[in-house]
Amino acid sequence: MFSNAFSNPAKAKWIIQGAGIIWLLGSFLLLRFYEIDSSLALADAAIFAVIFLIGVFVLERIFGFYIPKGGNTWLLLVLPLLLSLAGVYGHRFILQWVFEDEWDYINFLKEHLYLRWAFLAIAEIFVALIAIVVSKLEQQEETRKREMMMNELSREAELTQLRQQLQPHFLFNSLNSINALVVSQPKKAREMVLQLSEFLRGTIRKDHQQWLSLEEELNYLKMYLEIEKVRFGHRLALDFQLDEDTKSLLLPQLLIQPLLENAIKHGLYGITGEVKITLQTRKESNYLFLKITNPFDPEATSPPGTGFGLSSIERRLFLLFGRKDLLETNSENQTFSVELKIPQLK
Amino acid sequence: MIKTIIIDDEPLAAAIVQEFLTDFPQFEVVEVCQDGFQGWKAIQQHQPDLVFLDVQMPKITGFEMLELIDSPPAVIFTTAFDQYAVKAFDAMAIDYLLKPFSHERFSKAIEKFLAQANEPRIEEREGLNQLAEKSNRLVVRVKNEIKIIPIHEVTYFESEDDYISIHTPGGKYLKKMTMKSLEEAMDPGKFARVHRSFMVNLNQITQIEPFERDGYILKMRDGTQVPVSKTGYSRLRLVLGL
Repeated sequence: MFSNAFSNPAKAKWIIQGAGIIWLLGSFLLLRFYEIDSSLALADAAIFAVIFLIGVFVLERIFGFYIPKGGNTWLLLVLPLLLSLAGVYGHRFILQWVFEDEWDYINFLKEHLYLRWAFLAIAEIFVALIAIVVSKLEQQEETRKREMMMNELSREAELTQLRQQLQPHFLFNSLNSINALVVSQPKKAREMVLQLSEFLRGTIRKDHQQWLSLEEELNYLKMYLEIEKVRFGHRLALDFQLDEDTKSLLLPQLLIQPLLENAIKHGLYGITGEVKITLQTRKESNYLFLKITNPFDPEATSPPGTGFGLSSIERRLFLLFGRKDLLETNSENQTFSVELKIPQLK
Repeated sequence: MIKTIIIDDEPLAAAIVQEFLTDFPQFEVVEVCQDGFQGWKAIQQHQPDLVFLDVQMPKITGFEMLELIDSPPAVIFTTAFDQYAVKAFDAMAIDYLLKPFSHERFSKAIEKFLAQANEPRIEEREGLNQLAEKSNRLVVRVKNEIKIIPIHEVTYFESEDDYISIHTPGGKYLKKMTMKSLEEAMDPGKFARVHRSFMVNLNQITQIEPFERDGYILKMRDGTQVPVSKTGYSRLRLVLGL
């Protein structure tokens, strides 16, 4: 568990072993300082190090999964104390049993028992504290990851939902038109069924994340516009003015369609005569500018831009780019225009 | 002959109604209209027995068009939206057809119309008036014209018998509806009923002045003065946060 606290867990897995070796060397040198024989000192230090590592292992297990809170905070102190006490006693009995003839050494063990305990206890309390800090950090990391995943999921869901809200009105009215054409103009009806299918296939494409070039997207939108033309007959006229260098620029799928739908709706429902909708594109400093203009009657309709259409596109742009300045609307002299800026990632 | 008018902005949608109607020779389609203005004029002119009416149309919606007619004919709504169904019955529609509809479903609606044609229809203006709900505009008649008034341009409303007079900088318009249904239809954050017979646009108030004992008077942006009742004043204080 300790190893997870480091940015590179593979190298960090030696941290415990390393601590054991340092403990061994430290104890050995200290024992030599007390003028203990090398062989005795080495055995003593080795067993002491093993006991230290057992302590680390036990404490890590306990405090890695259980963080004492409130009234139980004393465990943090008492547990290492008890553990280290048991450790030093165990250490003494093992060495007494192995070196039963070394009276001086056994005496030394007895005399320095409490000092040894103090050393081990301080070290183990320290270990317990680290264990708690590490497991707290791990918990936070977990929560953060989960939150990120949830955000991602809800973002996906919202995007899907925003895309699908475009459908029903258009779909039902198109089906109604087909219903009318079936008897009078069966060929036209078949054509419309095929266009509608193509269009719907596009909206349920799986790779929604992928951006399309303007040209591809417009080819797809033509399907949609053909259907609208059948629905509204001669009233609807479209004018595409595309700069040649914008055709290969990329944009997220189905972003323009609701704008066109909006323009058609406000145009067709706002005025009674012919409706001409213009789509212009240009490239400027790494942005694709896309402008859609439609006529409207400022007196008749509620001001455009307050409806669902635009706010949902604004929301989508925000979810995609984290920006709120990519959509601009403008209405003057009976024309309403909306301009979209799409940052080119490359 | 049963005089019928079809109002739909999609030619094909009107065509299918016409096609289905050929099975009922007693119906005569006197006019097919593409928007609410045309429809309104056609209804005045022909006084039809039955109207097939789309909801979403250029200029004014089917509902708004109906509001303008004093004694509306029998109506069968044709719409792609489900959400309008309840409204349609509020508006005393005979039936509503969800697009696309089948021949059978259409025939049922016609039979329903024929069954009800002999019964006297209940005048239910209140239901119609509520159609203004959630709309941000009002549609009124001025002689032979239709005028659309955006709500935000209204200075205040005043009730006059069965009518509401709508005061705007551009003039005064009359609409047949009650203060109560108007109050229900307006956004309470934008309009306040300050008096039994007055409702004002909060954005158009320039001054509030005491007037006589217990009373207040509002000065509006266009210079007119609107009386405020005692309850009206406390309501006004509440919405304005005074």
